[in-house]
This record gives sequence, structure tokens and C-alpha cells, in this order.
Amino acid sequence: MRPTTRWLALAALTSISALGLATAAEPYREQYPPARIDPARGVDGDIGFSDTLPFWRTEAELERNAKWVGDPNEQWKLNWKFMDLDRVELHPGHLAVDEGEAMAARLSQRNPAFLLCLADGGSDLNGRAAAYPKYDARLGRIVTVESHIEHCAKTVLSEEIRQGSPANNKLAVYFKSLSAGMPIRVDLGDGKLMESYRRGERLFYAKTGQLNFACASCHVPGSIMGHKLRGETPTTPFADAAHYPTYRTPVGALESLQERFARCHSQMRTLQLKPGDPAYVDLEVFMTVLSNGYPVSVPSAR
Amino acid sequence: MKSLPPRRAAFGILLLAAAGQAVAQAPAADYSAYPCLSYSLECGKLATRRPQLKQLDGALNGNAEKGKQLAQARNGGNCLACHVMKGGSQPGTRGPDLSHYGTAGRSDAETYSMVYDMRTRNLDTLMPPFGTNAILSDPEIRDIVAFLQASK
Ligand code: HEC
Ligand code: HEC
Repeated sequence: MRPTTRWLALAALTSISALGLATAAEPYREQYPPARIDPARGVDGDIGFSDTLPFWRTEAELERNAKWVGDPNEQWKLNWKFMDLDRVELHPGHLAVDEGEAMAARLSQRNPAFLLCLADGGSDLNGRAAAYPKYDARLGRIVTVESHIEHCAKTVLSEEIRQGSPANNKLAVYFKSLSAGMPIRVDLGDGKLMESYRRGERLFYAKTGQLNFACASCHVPGSIMGHKLRGETPTTPFADAAHYPTYRTPVGALESLQERFARCHSQMRTLQLKPGDPAYVDLEVFMTVLSNGYPVSVPSAR
Repeated sequence: MKSLPPRRAAFGILLLAAAGQAVAQAPAADYSAYPCLSYSLECGKLATRRPQLKQLDGALNGNAEKGKQLAQARNGGNCLACHVMKGGSQPGTRGPDLSHYGTAGRSDAETYSMVYDMRTRNLDTLMPPFGTNAILSDPEIRDIVAFLQASK
């Protein structure tokens, strides 16, 4: 045991609040020892973290390491990015983009203000998704692509297109596909956004559920990351947000990033939250900052 | 379309074959008695159950065969997620290899306490507190300890 941990254990066991971990008002909560991640580095923060970025950063690197695909010991180092490549014809993610496009066209035919709302008053959606999530001062909250779609549908069309619904995911895939290849650029200069990042970071290390796991228990170096967990091997959290919503081949449906959080929560035997829950929004901000500088990779399949 | 490297072409076929194949999902169990990430629900304010040093009460009396099943079952101990053990497929690799645990000469009492709550030895352990968080019952932990001791 490292000395800091021993001290934490002691503080925890005796409710000493010296470290601000267990004050009288706050319940005793365990956390996974935090990794040091510098948000300013974006996806480059994986260097010195999982150090797998060099293997999956570019198509050329993925080509070079294609021999690892299917290798149970090495494949995790590709962070599944070999599945983003746009080359598989009739990849079902592409069909979802087409469906999303048709749906967006239908809805904006009903009221052109729908597209205007989606585009934040601009003339088109090109490149816009790469800047999400962002803080919306008028709404006073962080907006994700999915919550933005829900909001525009409700305010302009009086229609419920809930986050996490198949319709919302299709529209989101279409919206994001219009930023495909563009580097993600979440605005770290926005104070509200950074507050959300910090909250999301704390959630990432918080142990929850019956199994007492944190996200970090499986997704940081020294944890289960890179180790076999029966049939699976957890990978780095860097650049994950880039390919969501993704087409999940085993179930034949799209899945948003926040639905993925819920799926990990079910593995952790932790109460699953609903898409759009403020805690999931903060986690999404945290994870998307870890994708800053990496290209939007939608449509994708997993 | 650019020409496909062979592996990816094969992969494309795989994708298409599996597309549309819906997997039935079991209804999510209710874990709201344990801490969650919510800012508003009660479980968001729940404390982590503190590490608990539990002594083995009386003789072990475990059933090693039952213990083996429990250690493998995903809805049981699922020890195999992190440990190589005797029997079972696709073992995990994060924890130490337990397939010859019985040769180490560790006592039943020590083993029981570790499985009950490993945090009493290492607060940062990745191993779930099986007893403290009621993942396994007292008789189930006894069965698993018997299985570990019989693994030679
Ligand atoms: C018990 C281990 C475990 C825990 C704890 C866990 N995950 Fe995962 N997670 C996995 C595995 C295994 C995968 C699939 C392999 C991979 O892509 O990492 C995965 C995948 C993911 C993915 C998708 C990656 C991709 O490439 O599509 C995201 C996002 C994710 N996890 C986020 C989280 C978050 C957020 C938490 C905490 C709420 C969490 N995970 C907790 C095991 C875990
Ligand atoms: C999420 C991963 C994980 C799971 C699941 C898990 N363990 Fe462990 N276990 C570990 C790790 C990691 C260690 C190393 C010690 C530590 O972390 O403190 C360990 C250590 C042990 C040890 C001590 C070994 C030694 O040589 O000192 C025993 C015994 C053990 N585990 C039994 C079990 C049993 C029985 C189960 C299922 C009921 C189980 N473990 C499930 C991760 C796990």
C-alpha cells in the first residue's frame, strides 16, 4: 500500500475529514486513485496514460498494426478504431445516416425552423457537431448533440424526440456525420464547460454499485484496462466519444454514448441513469474533452 | 470504394451477417441500494459500505463442487472475470492465478476474510467486497473457499 492510500484508509475508517473526503455532511465514498489527465492535451493525453494512441491515431498506423485484429492479447491496443474505417460497404451505420438525413428533411419540411434551430441560426449543420458538448448561456445548461435535437424538436415541432430513442440516435448520427473527419474541439475556454468537465472527472473515479467499481477501475492504466475480463478487454477512454452514436452490430441498433455509460453501469451493478441525466452529461463532457483533437468518426460500428 | 485489405473485407461480411439480430435483454436489476452517480436520487447520496473484517465462524463446512460453480457463474462470484482458476473458460488476467491456491497453505479463516472483503488488506483493491456488499452469502463464500483450498 502506498503511504497516501494508507492515510486515506485511516481517514475513511475513522471519519477524519482532514482530506475533505468524508466531512460530516458528506457520506463516506470511495474513489479509485485518480490518474493525472491534463484536459488541455485532449486526445494526446493518452500519451503517458495508456500509451496506445500511436497504434490507432491514423489510418496508416492502423494499417501497420492490422495484424493485431483478432489477437486476444494485442487487439485492445487498437482501441477498436480499426472498426471506424469507412471502407466497409453497406456498413449499417451508413444506412442510419441515410435514415437520419431523410428524417431531418421530413421534419424541416414541416417547419424549416427545425433545421435553423439545429444549426443555431446558421445555414447548415456542417462541422457543428465537432464543437459539442457546449454550454448554452440562454438555456443555462450544457448541451449535447442529442439533447439539442430533443430541444429543437420540442420547441419548434412540439414533438418528443427523446435522447436515447432510435429517432434521436438516427438524427444524431446524421448530424455528426456532417462533421466526420473534423477534429473535436470542445471549448475549454468556457468556464461552465470546465466546471462540468471537473464534475465528470470526479464521477469517473467514484466507486459505485454492488461491485464497488469506478469507471476508472476498468479504464485507466494499472486497473483492469488491457487485462482480460473474461471475454472482453477494457480499453483507454481517450477518443471514445468520437465515434458515438455507434451502430451496435450484436443488437442491430444505434447506441449513444450515454446509453453506453448505462451499459457499463449495468456491468458494474450500478443503477443506470437515463440519457440526458445531468451526471451522464458531465461524464460525456469529460470523455469528449479526452477526444479533443481527434476526428469525429461517425458513422461507426461496434 | 477503396480496395479492402482481406481482413476488413471479411469483417464487413461479419457485420452484415449479424446486423438486425436482436439480443433479448433481461430486465435491469435494481441496484439502488448501492451508491450511484445521480445528483438527485437517493442512491447518489448513499455511502460506500465500509470495509469489514469478517471472521470465519466455526469450521468451514464448504462444498467445493458448489463453490466451483459459483466462482464461474457470471451472476454468482464471477471470480473468473479476474482470476485464472481450475475449470471454466475465458479466465480474466488482472488478479493472481488461483488455480493452485490450495497448495499455498493459507488458512480457511484468512481466505474467508479476503473473499468477504479484500479492502481490509488493500483499500484500493479492484476485487469486489463479496460479503460486505451481499454479492455472496456466508454459505456461498464457504463453498468458494472450499473450492480454492481444493485447487491443487
Ligand atoms: C468492469 C469493467 C468496466 C467498468 C467498471 C466500466 N467499463 Fe466501460 N467498458 C468496459 C469494457 C469491457 C468495454 C468494452 C471494451 C472497450 O471498448 O473498452 C467498455 C467500453 C466502454 C465504452 C465504449 C468504448 C468504445 O470504444 O466504444 C465507453 C464509452 C465506456 N466503457 C465508458 C465507461 C464509463 C463512463 C464507465 C463508468 C460509468 C465505465 N465505462 C465503467 C468495462 C468497464
Ligand atoms: C475485478 C477483479 C476481481 C474479481 C472479480 C475477483 N478478484 Fe480476487 N483478486 C483481485 C485482485 C486484483 C487481487 C490481488 C490482491 C489485491 O488487489 O488486493 C485478488 C486477490 C485474490 C485472492 C488473494 C490471492 C493471494 O494469493 O493473495 C483471493 C483468494 C481471491 N482474490 C479470491 C477471489 C474470489 C474467490 C473471487 C470471486 C468470488 C474473486 N477473487 C474475484 C481481483 C478480483
